[in-house]
Amino acid sequence: MDDQKSNHHNNKSIDLDDSPPFVRIHSHAEIGSSEERAVLELEDERLNSCDSITRKKHPFKETSSSDICHMKCKNSLWNSIKIVIFSSKLNILMVFGPAAIIVHKTTGYHGMVFLLSLLGIIPLAERLGYATEQLASFTGPTVGGLLNATFGNATELIISIFALRNGMIRVVQQSLLGSILSNMLLVLGCAFFSGGLVIMKREQVFNKAAAGVNSGLLLMSVMGLLFPAVLHSTRTELHFGKSELALSRFSSCVMLFAYAAFLYFQLRSSKKLYDMESKTETSDDDEAPEISMWEAIVWLSILTTWIAVLSEYLVDAIEGASTALKIPVAFISVVLLPIVGNAAEHAGAIMFAMKDKLDISLGVAIGSSTQIAMFGIPFCVIIAWIMGQPMDLNFQLFETATLFLTVIVVAFMLQEGTSNYFKGLMLILCYLIVAASFFVHVDLDSVDYLSYNPSACGNKNHIHDLKMNITESVGKTKT
Amino acid sequence: MDYKLQVRVQSHLEMGSLDDRSMGDLDDECLYSAEMDAQKTQSTDSNEQVSLSSSLPVAGNKMIRNGVYKSIKTVVFSNKLNLLMPFGPLAILVHKMTAHNGWVFFLSLLGITPLAERLGYATEQLAFYTGPTVGGLLNATFGNATELIISIYALKSGMIRVVQLSLLGSILSNMLLVLGCAFFCGGLVYPGKEQAFSKATAVVNSGLLLMAVMGLLFPAVLYYTHTERHAGKSELALSRFSSCIMLLAYAAYLVFQLKSQKDLYVPIGEEGSQNEQNANDDDDEAPEISKWESIIWLAIMTAWISILSDYLVDAMQGASEAWGVPISFISVILLPIIGNAAEHASAIMFAMKNKLDISLGVAIGSSTQISMFGIPFCVVIGWMMGQEMDLNFQLFETATLFITVIVVAFFLQEGTSNYFKGLMLILCYLIVAASFFVHEDTSSSGESKQPKT
Repeated sequence: MDDQKSNHHNNKSIDLDDSPPFVRIHSHAEIGSSEERAVLELEDERLNSCDSITRKKHPFKETSSSDICHMKCKNSLWNSIKIVIFSSKLNILMVFGPAAIIVHKTTGYHGMVFLLSLLGIIPLAERLGYATEQLASFTGPTVGGLLNATFGNATELIISIFALRNGMIRVVQQSLLGSILSNMLLVLGCAFFSGGLVIMKREQVFNKAAAGVNSGLLLMSVMGLLFPAVLHSTRTELHFGKSELALSRFSSCVMLFAYAAFLYFQLRSSKKLYDMESKTETSDDDEAPEISMWEAIVWLSILTTWIAVLSEYLVDAIEGASTALKIPVAFISVVLLPIVGNAAEHAGAIMFAMKDKLDISLGVAIGSSTQIAMFGIPFCVIIAWIMGQPMDLNFQLFETATLFLTVIVVAFMLQEGTSNYFKGLMLILCYLIVAASFFVHVDLDSVDYLSYNPSACGNKNHIHDLKMNITESVGKTKT
Repeated sequence: MDYKLQVRVQSHLEMGSLDDRSMGDLDDECLYSAEMDAQKTQSTDSNEQVSLSSSLPVAGNKMIRNGVYKSIKTVVFSNKLNLLMPFGPLAILVHKMTAHNGWVFFLSLLGITPLAERLGYATEQLAFYTGPTVGGLLNATFGNATELIISIYALKSGMIRVVQLSLLGSILSNMLLVLGCAFFCGGLVYPGKEQAFSKATAVVNSGLLLMAVMGLLFPAVLYYTHTERHAGKSELALSRFSSCIMLLAYAAYLVFQLKSQKDLYVPIGEEGSQNEQNANDDDDEAPEISKWESIIWLAIMTAWISILSDYLVDAMQGASEAWGVPISFISVILLPIIGNAAEHASAIMFAMKNKLDISLGVAIGSSTQISMFGIPFCVVIGWMMGQEMDLNFQLFETATLFITVIVVAFFLQEGTSNYFKGLMLILCYLIVAASFFVHEDTSSSGESKQPKT
């Protein structure tokens, strides 16, 4: 382990002389000298590498040529495994992955399988982000940005695709929604809160313009989600059942187009921004990537495959887990899944807020929300279209209303451009309210209504009557 | 609001002197005259300069006593858009001969477009002669005269839903499509930096729009939660009361605009003293037709528009069946887009000339006018006619308006624009249009519904 660390140290010490960008200086100063071994341990406790989060914020930052890294970082297989697997303490959780599979094969106890696979996915998600970021430093800024934009939330997307294959459309909708909510309220709130506690004297500032653009995109996605839902619940579709699906698919294409335009727009303006920033920071953005390009690609595929495997077990176990743990599937999808899946990003965002780098935290939190809202959700609709599954943008009125209110609250909080611990606390408390609502929310469209509410099994017509009542009351308003 | 006066001064510079006739032609290419749009942004300040230069009426009479032929030339032939004018009589012919509703509808729509533009022009010319107060009132009323006339005819036929939907569609298309196109084109022409506009006006307009949404929301929610005290009647009474309040608010808004412009005129006068000189000289020839001519043309245009609107409204039902398109789609999307074509083009033109404030005035000002004046006015007219028009636009439409106003208010509050914001607004409009394409309006009274498959 010492050898690897000194390798690490050697690789990074070069950059000290070249005075890399501000962010890296900080972390490298910590790693740098051999006297500060203790600090190195502290650094490793970050559950995410500094680079990958920075990259999430500036997906299009240019890196200088990969010449240096070719010389220094052609790692042997052992070194590669050491760097990728053993360098982060979070990877202790990796053993839970195989454990989940074993438990599934032996006992088939859904609750345990669900929990273990969830725990097993966490480190894989983090390493996936790391590999993506390493790969992105080899490719140009464009492809790098695209990579980040796609793989940034790869975990959620992979889980969603497996759920779609099983026809669990509601789970997909709710898990994506929950991911947006947890990023916007919980992660952001914790970041603001911790940052505000650490830096008590003044308010932290962040870039208003970026926050504004993201809020605008979130509002647009809410618009895209609202119309199918309202169309459906007011029973005013032209061709019942079909119009709404067609509208959802059309809106998804529009939203994907908007997201592509957003990436293009960011590329343009960050090129300008980069020129401006290079006055304060040097142009040497290249912090020697730790693994070579082919290693990055190989690791990327390995991790993706692993995540896919675990996701399959996860998705299969959801319903059983909900029965076993006596929690509604809606709550699991909306609250539990995203919190656990996002744990690494969450911790990273808090860490950066405490270092007074609120822009990066914001990029992680809000950028992730925007990505899921404008790319993840429409992408899933399109994938479902290809698969032949009828996934639409109608998230049902309760969920859509939740998203709408949340986006308005967050957009409002962000518009000032400053943060303090109180704002953070408010956001966290809002999340508590949202979570509590979903805990007592019965999803009439989900399969688990009967399984969760065993008394309803007795009255087979119960759910049917419930739906009829709602239809009638809405129908009455028409006359 | 000194930006408006700057803007006004600038526009006078452009239209102004005889030497700049080429500029004048350039301006003719935009489907609106520059002053007319400046007029729209500052509906009440139109004659600040007029009151200053007292020599105007005398000079005006000498220079612009046109013969009837000249008048016709100025009004009818000076604008390329007027090529569409023959479509008006053509629509009437088609109606008498074939009664093919689809064609009648389409042709009368095309025929109304140039008339609407000329009506705006005549209004602006007339506003030169009246004082600032009456001028502002004229603009406030006739600014969206086309929509109002169409609505009144529809009300007379009892097509209340069409009225609601067309007014709603006008607001939506102004806020999303026109504004989005203006931002987008302006951003493309000026890619380097972001264009700025006056935040204060945008915020005031957003506030008024939100208030309008509030006025529309309560009757709708009251109806849908079945919590009216006297079912059916309370909601109508509430709508009528809210309409009066909204009209009052709009009147107060006009007074507020007038007062604050009077206050702000002095500082800008010092800054643009040279411009002011030019502006004063230019004012002498700015009105192109005399006062009585404007009034006559105003009356003629209004009459023509009324006639065509009559045919338009009668043909709507048939057109919807002929084309296989829901009436709500025609009312909300097609009617406003084509009816607003002239304003649309001029807003884009001004954005590309980096005069984003005028574009904003055209787009958002028009939306505010319709929502705070047009809709309540129609309710009151309906009241007088004995028609039961209310502010309950049904849940789907009200929700659409609500989310649109919030999105637009959010986009405007920054005070800057770029092509991406414009693109987002246009894409939002696409989503709205698509929703209305698959939206069946179940509450349309007496109108046939599309068969469900």
